[in-house]
Amino acid sequence: MADTAELREREQKLQGMGASLLRKEDARFIRGQGTYIDDLKLPGMLFGAIVRSPYAHARITSIDKARALASPGVVAVLTADDLKPVNLHWMPTAGGDVQAVLADKKVCFQYQEVAMVLATDRFAAYDGAALVEVIYDELPAITDPKKALAPGAPVIREDIADKKDVGHGPRTHPNHVFTWEAGNKAAADAAFKGAAVTVREEILNPRVHPCPLETCGCVASFNKATGYLTVYVTSQIPHLFRTVLAMLSGLAESKIRVVGGDIGGGFGNKVPIYPGYVVATVASIVTGVPVKWIESRIDNISTTGFARDYHGVGELAADQDGRIKGLRFTALADHGAFNSHVSASKLPAGLFSICTGSYAIPNAYCRVDAVYTNKAPGGVAYRCSLRVTEAVYLIERMMDVLAQKVGVDKAEIRRRNFVQAEQFPYTTSLGWTLDSGAYHAALAKVLKAVDYEALRREQAAKRADPDCPTLMGIGISTFTEIVGAGPTKVCDILGIGLFDSCDIRVHPTGAVIARLGTMSQGQGHATTYSQIIATELGLPASDIVIEEGDTDKAPYGAGTWGSRSTPVAGAAAATAARKIKDKARKIAAHLLEVGEGDLEWEIDRFKVKGNPSQAKTMKEICLVSHTGNLPPGMEQGLNAVAYYDPPNLTFPFGAYLCVVDIDKFTGETKVRRFYALDDCGTRINPMVIEGQIHGGLTEAFAVAMGQQLPFDENGNHLGNSLMDYFLPTAMETPHWETDHTVTPSPHHPIGAKGVAESPHVGGIPCFSNAVIDAFAHLGVTHMDMPHSSYRVWQKCQELGVNKRPGDV
Amino acid sequence: MKVTLERAFALPASADQAWKLLADVERVAACMPGARISERLDERHFKGTVAVKFGPASLNFRGELEVLTLEPGSRTLQLRGKGTDASGGSAAALDLTARIEGKDAAASTLVGRGEASMSGKAAAFGARVADPVAQQVLQQFALNFIAELGARAASGAGPGAGSEAPPAASAAAPARPLNGLALLWAVVRSWLRSLLGARGT
Repeated sequence: MADTAELREREQKLQGMGASLLRKEDARFIRGQGTYIDDLKLPGMLFGAIVRSPYAHARITSIDKARALASPGVVAVLTADDLKPVNLHWMPTAGGDVQAVLADKKVCFQYQEVAMVLATDRFAAYDGAALVEVIYDELPAITDPKKALAPGAPVIREDIADKKDVGHGPRTHPNHVFTWEAGNKAAADAAFKGAAVTVREEILNPRVHPCPLETCGCVASFNKATGYLTVYVTSQIPHLFRTVLAMLSGLAESKIRVVGGDIGGGFGNKVPIYPGYVVATVASIVTGVPVKWIESRIDNISTTGFARDYHGVGELAADQDGRIKGLRFTALADHGAFNSHVSASKLPAGLFSICTGSYAIPNAYCRVDAVYTNKAPGGVAYRCSLRVTEAVYLIERMMDVLAQKVGVDKAEIRRRNFVQAEQFPYTTSLGWTLDSGAYHAALAKVLKAVDYEALRREQAAKRADPDCPTLMGIGISTFTEIVGAGPTKVCDILGIGLFDSCDIRVHPTGAVIARLGTMSQGQGHATTYSQIIATELGLPASDIVIEEGDTDKAPYGAGTWGSRSTPVAGAAAATAARKIKDKARKIAAHLLEVGEGDLEWEIDRFKVKGNPSQAKTMKEICLVSHTGNLPPGMEQGLNAVAYYDPPNLTFPFGAYLCVVDIDKFTGETKVRRFYALDDCGTRINPMVIEGQIHGGLTEAFAVAMGQQLPFDENGNHLGNSLMDYFLPTAMETPHWETDHTVTPSPHHPIGAKGVAESPHVGGIPCFSNAVIDAFAHLGVTHMDMPHSSYRVWQKCQELGVNKRPGDV
Repeated sequence: MKVTLERAFALPASADQAWKLLADVERVAACMPGARISERLDERHFKGTVAVKFGPASLNFRGELEVLTLEPGSRTLQLRGKGTDASGGSAAALDLTARIEGKDAAASTLVGRGEASMSGKAAAFGARVADPVAQQVLQQFALNFIAELGARAASGAGPGAGSEAPPAASAAAPARPLNGLALLWAVVRSWLRSLLGARGT
């Protein structure tokens, strides 16, 4: 019998699930040897620079290319008129709308793409772009979504002004995109009518940008001789990208190869298909040479992939003890100039209906009205599944508002309304079935760890002391996320279901290559997927190579966004590995001359029950599978492909607590403590999880405390460089304390739920709740993000808390 | 993004002499730091450029200048300028009304009211300094205008003298872009002064 030390040693050798294996990717990243799009140099490559509109809303009177074409190095200048013959001056969007690839007679947002100058190098391209003379006739702009639907408001989209529908039901105004609703309005209204307590708050999720370190870009390379198109691109969705390119260009999908190399952060910004990619691709098809297009930082923040811009109204109805009876949430959604926001076909407001959160709310109704404005188009899910941050922010803020109204503690109001552990799987009144959870236990663990009672006592003492120079706030967030899109019955994009896939090939020596339909942008897939396969197959993770992002090699999948890689592709990896293991079991039984039922699995081998000396290791089986010594009729090889269509989404959750100290005189907010407990089900690599949580919390801190994209009344973007846009560095970022509980997902092959987005989604309301809690004793129930020092100082000023004794 | 300015400058010349210069749109443009008229389309329409340089960043506005009013009776000039800078994604428009008010045979006043609006990067970056920058631009313009008046007087400016190019400051002005560093210093200085002034009162 193998002793436990030997078993442990064998297990450690695998570095499978549960091991904090160092990230395989980092060896090249820390040496500066990653290969990003802008590192790519192909022979004869041209560089494209985009001419952009300085106006938010204007007619294009004329475009004069002559001076640009005369500029040294300039090869061509493309405008909408040049794309018209190939019908690519407009492109369809995932939202059922169309978007101008290059502005067609009119610009609808500032920095909109008007022309692309192709030149022999990027400097010549930019010099040429400066010489394209565009004459504009400025029109009045709409930047406030609340004014978009006013009678007589300027019509932003004349091209669809007469259309009754742009993909998601009837429109009521030329600037109206869609109205979407969920739940039972009559039941919710009835709950409000009879309620002892009701609360209402207007809550903004401002327009922000994920701002990944690497901006978007591509190199398109069309070979006229073979008719093959290769596009190297910063895309989180290489396979869907290829499908869309095939639809747009008319090329056979088999002649298009999309390659996503190393990607320097995505956070949703790299999901959409942007005009720059399309123009570069057309340019390469026309010229027959490779064309590179790379965004500048200002282009990135101004035009591609903004997030949020949800102007919400939250309402809760409860009994006198704060037990919620009804919920009504609405949002006015600013979608910018084109409805190119990322969403599954049937979910125009994404997963907003997760807004009942972690709570048992019997009656709920939510509604989203989306409008056009003269701002950049789209709407991506910034480190979340679409519209989940907006939903969770609303419910977690409203829980605090309700607690203040009822007069109970903010932890207690949550305990009173949590879904109970024994109620899972729990179907919410808005129709989602939460897979598993243990909310009370998670919150209790956090409150104990930080000594919550003592913190509240300290806060009370500080509030009682008129000389105290600071305001102390305690924020709690007990969120439930919804990730892992998703079941094909619920989610598709352009008709393609959001399943994912894994193709595993085992070599004779036991080394493995696995290819998946996802696309890492820093998540550490090469490490975590190999750990899943290592545990499933009993082969060491160090010899398992993971490949993603090359559509010529990997099987089809919907990419990496919405924390879907582990819930969907991770499940595909486990499923494919199990197919291989089933075959290996047959080979082992054949070699050991016993029945399959007589075998049991132990870490890295099959052994005969009751006769442990009789065993075959996976490594031995790998070699045998490539010989003729196989059960009758069995083919050689140990390969498998699995396509995984999840039966449900997964619902990670967490309990966060934040303590802030606000300087009454400067408004400066110091995060004293941030304690984050996450439950993402089965944990694959604790170190990678912790890294994900640190990153997500840092981006939550960024959004809550400083990020926003402001505009003036003419549609001028006033925050599109890193001079204005807040990107926290190690200087500003607080210290994070992390903790966990483990409540596996019952429907996932390994019980994992996904984790990357929880800290962002749950972190933002936690910061807001802490800042607002600091002012709660003064009657404040809400303050909009971001809580910059200036805005917090304004609140101190308004309330008069910054008066020193003797001040007049 | 809009900036509105109203300023008056004392001129060392009679109202008639000053008006003669003000009515010469190409000369007036030449007094504008960084500005250049490149083409005269007709009596009232011109094409031109305005260059602004701030350290490594430069904006080159190209556009049109339209004379809306040129009224000798009230000695009023009304201009509208509009230009775009393609490389930086910026645009600017200027509505300017300038009037000469007489004082005596050797002195008059230039009264100006301008409204400048900016779009794109000029707005994103310029917003925080737009007001003081506009003040400084106007100040430099007035100095150039006065210098030009002086040069004309010195060369015994009579009828027709305006068509000769005087070798004074105005000749050098168009070649030089608006000097960002000097401008920046002037802006910082005036800001500091306003700050100290505010404290002092």
